[in-house]
Formats: sequence, C-alpha cells, structure tokens
Amino acid sequence: MIVNEWCMYCGECAGVCPQCVIEVCETGLKFDEQTCEDCKFCVMVCPVGALEKDEQK
Amino acid sequence: MMIETDVLVVGAGPAGSTAAKHAAFNGADVILIDKKSEIGAPKRCAEGVSKEGLKKLGIKPKSRWVTHEIENVRLVSPNGTVVWLNQDKVKLPEAGYVLERKVFDKHMAMDAARAGAKIKIKTLAKGLKKEGDQIIVNAESMGESFDIRAKIVIGADGPESRVGRWAGLNTVFMPKHMESGVQFEMVRVELEDKNSLEFYFGSLAPGGYAWIFPKGDDIANVGLGVLPTKTKKSAYQHLLEFVKSCPATKNAQAVEINVGGVPVGGPVRNMVTDNVMIVGDAAGQVNPLTGGGIISGMTGGLFAGEVSGAAISDNEITKDRLAEYEKRWHEDRGDSFKKYLKAKDYLLSLSDEELDSIALAFKETEFENINTGELIKNLIKVSPKALLKLGKLF
Ligand SMILES: Cc1cc2nc3c(=O)[nH]c(=O)nc-3n(C[C@H](O)[C@H](O)[C@H](O)COP(=O)(O)OP(=O)(O)OC[C@H]3O[C@@H](n4cnc5c(N)ncnc54)[C@H](O)[C@@H]3O)c2cc1C
Ligand code: SF4
Ligand code: SF4
Repeated sequence: MIVNEWCMYCGECAGVCPQCVIEVCETGLKFDEQTCEDCKFCVMVCPVGALEKDEQK
Repeated sequence: MMIETDVLVVGAGPAGSTAAKHAAFNGADVILIDKKSEIGAPKRCAEGVSKEGLKKLGIKPKSRWVTHEIENVRLVSPNGTVVWLNQDKVKLPEAGYVLERKVFDKHMAMDAARAGAKIKIKTLAKGLKKEGDQIIVNAESMGESFDIRAKIVIGADGPESRVGRWAGLNTVFMPKHMESGVQFEMVRVELEDKNSLEFYFGSLAPGGYAWIFPKGDDIANVGLGVLPTKTKKSAYQHLLEFVKSCPATKNAQAVEINVGGVPVGGPVRNMVTDNVMIVGDAAGQVNPLTGGGIISGMTGGLFAGEVSGAAISDNEITKDRLAEYEKRWHEDRGDSFKKYLKAKDYLLSLSDEELDSIALAFKETEFENINTGELIKNLIKVSPKALLKLGKLF
C-alpha cells in the first residue's frame, strides 16, 4: 500500500479494515501486507484519498 | 519490563479519560495510555456538545475549553431554503456549546490524573494477549517496548477500535457505516447569526451533511461527512466544493484541517468480553443521525469506569460483572439511538427536490409552539413517506 504524504493518521482506514492489519502510529501507518486481502475498503474511506494500492506487489 | 495495574485504559480521548477517572475514583490502580504526543491534538471533531449532556456527566463548563454558546440551529436545504430552530423550544442533540477539544480533552485527562490515574503519553498499544485471568498489553514508547499486565483493559481507542478486536470482539466498521469526515477551522466566516449551528443537507454531502459550527468572532468549524459508499469523490473534494459555493465561507480562510472517521451504524453488538471492555467511538457509541459521540462516549466511559472500579474492589472480575457496564449504557440511551437510526434512514432517502419542498413547507412554521408530534404530522403532509419511515416511532 502506498501512503501518500498528505495522510493525517486519523485511523479511519484502520477502523474499516476487516483483517485488522493497519497499525496507526502518531505519524505513520504500517500495513501487514501478507495478511491484507486487497478489499480496498481502506482506500475507499480515506477522507483525503491518501492511500493507493501498490500494484507492483 | 513489566508494569502491573488493575485497570489499563487505551486511548485518552473523552471516553477513555472519563473511564480512567471513574475507575480511579472507585479505588482501582489505573494507567491511561495514548499514542499522541499531545492529548487532544490533532482534534477530529466539530466540537458541538449539549449542555444537558455535560451536566449529566457532572462536568461544569470552563471558559478555558468552551469557545461559544449556541442558541439556534439553522437548517439549509439544497436550494438555500432556510429553516430556523430555537434550541430552547426543540430539543436537539449536540447543540449547546462549541468546545476547544484540544483543551477539553487535555482537561479530561488531567481530571483522570487528579483522581489518581497514571498517564503515559506517546505510548502506543501494539497488541494484547490473555494470560491466566489477566491481560498483557504490549506497548511502545519513545523507542522502548514493554508489557503492561492488567486485570481489566478498557479499549477507548476511537474509530480504529483495534483493542476490542485483539480481544475477540467484532468491532470492524463497514464502510457503509463509517462517515468520512473532513473539516477546516476557518476565520472570516460570515454568518447570519453568530450563535447558530448551521447544517446543510443534500447531494453536496452524499450520505451525510455539511456543518458550520461557530467558535466566536468570525471563527468557525466548517466541515462535512459523507458515506464513502455513496460518492466517488473524497470527502475533501466535497468540502472544497462546499466552501466555494457557500455564501458564509466566500472570504473565509482555513487555519487548520481535520480529518477522521465517524462510526454511525449504531453501537457494536458486544462491548464486553473476558477482562476487556470497549467504550466511546470504539464501541460505536455515536449518535447515528448527527455523528456526535462526545457525550455518549463519555457516558460509556463513566459506566465502564464505575463498573471496573467496583469489580476490582470486590475482586470479582467476571464477564457477567463487567457486562453491567453495557447494560447501564443501553438503559441510559433507551431507544433514542434506534429512533435516530430510523430518522437518518429517512433523511438519506430524500432527494434534493424533496428536501427543498420540506424546507419550504417548514420555513414559516412557528417552532415556538410546536411539539414533536405536530412536527411529524406536518412533515407527513409534505413528505408522505415520512409516515412509513418515522410514523411508528414518535
Ligand atoms: C469531523 C468530525 C466531526 C465531529 N463532530 C462532533 C461534534 O460536533 N460533536 C460530537 O459530540 N462528536 C463529534 N464527532 C465525534 C467525536 O469526535 C468522537 O465521537 C469522540 O472523539 C470519541 O471519543 P473517544 O474518546 O471514543 O475517541 P477519540 O477521541 O478518537 O480518542 C481515541 C484516542 O485513542 C488513542 N489511540 C488509538 N489507538 C491507540 C493505541 N493503539 N495506543 C494508544 N492510544 C491509541 C488516539 O490517539 C486517541 O487519542 C466528530 C468526529 C469527526 C471525525
Ligand atoms: S484514512 Fe487516510 S488520512 Fe486517515 S490514516 Fe488512513 S490513509 Fe491516513
Ligand atoms: S485492502 Fe482491505 S484488508 Fe488490505 S489493508 Fe485495506 S482494508 Fe485492510
């Protein structure tokens, strides 16, 4: 997952992640890419469109 | 390193600080942790609360964290038709004061500390496991990793709600039940009435609404929430369009941007499991119609704090005992959240044209002399489907 620079670490994406794989630090997001099921709920709910699926992976 | 405590509260928002305060008041050893370097900042809130709500929680308003007092509510339909409501006449949730959340949240945490809770800021909970009849939470602070062993863990971690999930509760919020919120704090806002909360409805905020909450002088929170399932644009794009088109914000300048999710699907099914309780946004304790969660979350914190403190002092930490908290929260809310959910369903079913015609019909209504029953009766005249969606409720 690509986290763009304008992410504000609000945690909304983590709240909808059915796999519970997003860790929201005060100024950082960590994804457990292994467990991600690619549902893109996180991308969809972000109020500022800060997430992009990394299609390379 | 292992730290031991009776009660560990994860998250020092209004719900967590209230829980920590009351657990400590009731005699428990309490640790309150938050990942933030400054409790309350950044704010993720339009900062509206009802006076009655604060009073019920036993909190006296302080000039340090109340920015403005509200008298009226101004509702605006898509074509700009305005309906005024007076706060004294029609009881409205979340109307009363506009707070300074950054200061308020800090003060609530200070109250928890004064009651005896220990606070650890810049401390992130990373995971949780059960060991015997206790819970071990792994945490990280300033480069150090350590465990906290607690008899009871209260998850007050807001819309992320991961603590509950670590403990096996189902707290995932579906995108259709999660408002995406974005807001500017603005200056040079030109309001018709500086003492009114303003709400704007219709396709400008699909699945939600836009708001202007005044903070005194020419300052206001200007924001909106949308349901991500109802729009292809981001909440931010909707807000830029709103600010551009709204007469009140023509000359306004943003000094702050806030974003955040609001769980509006109603409370989660279970708020309690073995040795773990969840409170506030984490438990979906948010008014599903308005998205207001300060008071209902703090109410959750109050009950969870009291119940956990009493369970500790009686040394009876069973699931049944902790479930008293959940029961009390539901009793306190009564069926109000069910009504708000229905009212929201109805509101979201209305087209821009329907909203305009309802606003037009209500424009001249003297709300001073009208009760809720009559209001619904009038509503049904202009919008027959209100009967179907709301008739049985009120
Ligand atoms: C744009 C917007 C406008 C709103 N407007 C209003 C309004 O006008 N009126 C109203 O009543 N409500 C409003 N709300 C809702 C209100 O902000 C929330 O209901 C309220 O903040 C919930 O309080 P809480 O204590 O449950 O959670 P929060 O205030 O979200 O606090 C949770 C805390 O937990 C911490 N945390 C999370 N995870 C961890 C972890 N793993 N480890 C350590 N700490 C952690 C966070 O840093 C945070 O401080 C609004 C929300 C939004 C997004
Ligand atoms: S929802 Fe968007 S802004 Fe909020 S933490 Fe996730 S990526 Fe960042
Ligand atoms: S794509 Fe789905 S599973 Fe993967 S991180 Fe996003 S919400 Fe979670």
